[in-house]
Amino acid sequence: MTVLEAAVLRYRVMAYVTGVVLVVLCFVGIPLQVAGHPAVANNVGVVHGILYIIYLAFAWILSRKLQLANKPTVIMLLAGTVPIMTFIVERWVTRRFISPALAGQAQTAEPVRP
Amino acid sequence: MENAAPAEGAVPVGGGWRFLIQPRWLGWHVLMAVSFWGMLWLGDWQLHRALAGNALSWAYTFEWPLFAGFAVVFWVKTIRDEFRIKRGDNPGGTYGEPEDLPFGVRAVQSGAGPAEDEDEELSVYNAYLARLNAEVKDHGRWHGLR
Repeated sequence: MTVLEAAVLRYRVMAYVTGVVLVVLCFVGIPLQVAGHPAVANNVGVVHGILYIIYLAFAWILSRKLQLANKPTVIMLLAGTVPIMTFIVERWVTRRFISPALAGQAQTAEPVRP
Repeated sequence: MENAAPAEGAVPVGGGWRFLIQPRWLGWHVLMAVSFWGMLWLGDWQLHRALAGNALSWAYTFEWPLFAGFAVVFWVKTIRDEFRIKRGDNPGGTYGEPEDLPFGVRAVQSGAGPAEDEDEELSVYNAYLARLNAEVKDHGRWHGLR
């Protein structure tokens, strides 16, 4: 596994974990809180806060490795705060940046230049 | 905070820092400054809630300043990388491409295109690159390609 592949894997794992926890927070925790049972929202909220810190670090490291410009970098980082968005952004980043980068890496692994 | 970045490192001769005062970058600087102070303000707000007896707010009291610090670190490193790219040595090592080419194009185009390259995976990739190149010719930077 190359450095880039490892960074992609770390980002992907955190994107899905953070995304799932945020979905639980927003679609289970918040309704329960509104209904007068704030325990789930409180606990899951803190867990999401901690996971999001890790997500931020991994997403940013990957954005540096892919040499992304500022806009997609910010989109990647903020995706962890919007429900469902991590899944959408992960697919977009994969199609748009990760796949070409990994393909390019495979190309350069066998140098075609003299 | 953000303004600290241009001072460090070897700035290329001829005012290589001037990209930092382009409107696009000024917009990013403003966004970063606003989010930095905004996150500190949110941390302060949570501190007051925590002191008022909301135990849950203690977690967020420490989290918001951490995010604010992240913003500064990320921004400084982004600008340092930009200087490095402008100087010509790519921080991403083998992943780097020249500025005028979309990501990953050089590796394929620089080759003479040997005939045995005609496997399906490669031609799909080449078609993808061609589409990407056409798609982002003028506004590639805005879509994340240097």
